[in-house]
Amino acid sequence: MASLIRLSSVWQRGMRPVLLCHTQLSRGSACPRIGDVDYTEPAGRIHTASSSTGISASQHWTGERVMTLVLLGMAPAAYLCPGPVVDYSIAAALTMHGHWGIGQVLTDYVHGEVKIKLAKVGIFLLSTATFFGLCYFNYNDVGLCKAVVMLWQK
Amino acid sequence: MALLLRTVARQGLYSSRSQFGVLYRHAVPMGTTSNEEMDKFWAKNTRLNRPMSPHMTIYKWSVPMAMSISHRGTGIALSSGISAFALAALVLPESYPYYLDLIHSLTFGPQFLAFSKFALAFPVVYHTYNGIRHLAWDAGKGFKIPEVYRSGYVVLGLTVLTSIGLAAM
Repeated sequence: MASLIRLSSVWQRGMRPVLLCHTQLSRGSACPRIGDVDYTEPAGRIHTASSSTGISASQHWTGERVMTLVLLGMAPAAYLCPGPVVDYSIAAALTMHGHWGIGQVLTDYVHGEVKIKLAKVGIFLLSTATFFGLCYFNYNDVGLCKAVVMLWQK
Repeated sequence: MALLLRTVARQGLYSSRSQFGVLYRHAVPMGTTSNEEMDKFWAKNTRLNRPMSPHMTIYKWSVPMAMSISHRGTGIALSSGISAFALAALVLPESYPYYLDLIHSLTFGPQFLAFSKFALAFPVVYHTYNGIRHLAWDAGKGFKIPEVYRSGYVVLGLTVLTSIGLAAM
């Protein structure tokens, strides 16, 4: 598209057709661009088109990786300083990591428009219930860190 | 694009001045997404009734293949286990120590206890180490085939050793 616009600008200056003279091709590329703004606007509009959603897929991917690193850091944090803050952080990190992982599995194996929507709604509800369940356990019971300690002591 | 260039070149041969309207008249749609291209591809395959090449039935098993499937399997198992634990916390009436004592009264001895600890620790440790391996791949490191096999064996060795160590606690 850019080369096409450059060729058009060359012809607008009244020069001979560039394709018939090979020696003028590089010189045509170096010509000053007059009225180039009107030509570049459609190309710019195509190139700068953004998705309708707020976050792009690559940013979501990066966020997933950051969440994985945070979850890796939870293990020594739970060992060194157990407490409610680490309990709730583990609950949130585990829920999100599991939600995105199972979501990827559903994307790979569930086909069909209606089935995909149902599967995504189902995994969202399950992840929400899981998060509420873990927070309920942290609040009303011994908490996740202490639960693992008690499990391993027996 | 070639057709577009040829059309504009033909216009240029006839007259030294060319209007920009030529581009609009012969422009082809350039905004199709990859999803639309994929849908057209599969619709064409379905319409022509093309057979699918054999893939799952002829692949030979390898260490990276088995480890990738195991990573996904342990991920699904752990996620399901966490969800089951959370839903049980919401539903069951008694507290955690009560059910822990209940499970403890059912066990049959220290060997069973050690094996249970190993069985619980193994998928967690495997998923964690292989997850680090996947993060290295996401960073673009370790893609050569000998490196893939080497990191696979390292993950397996570390998984066994760490699981035994955790079970022995």
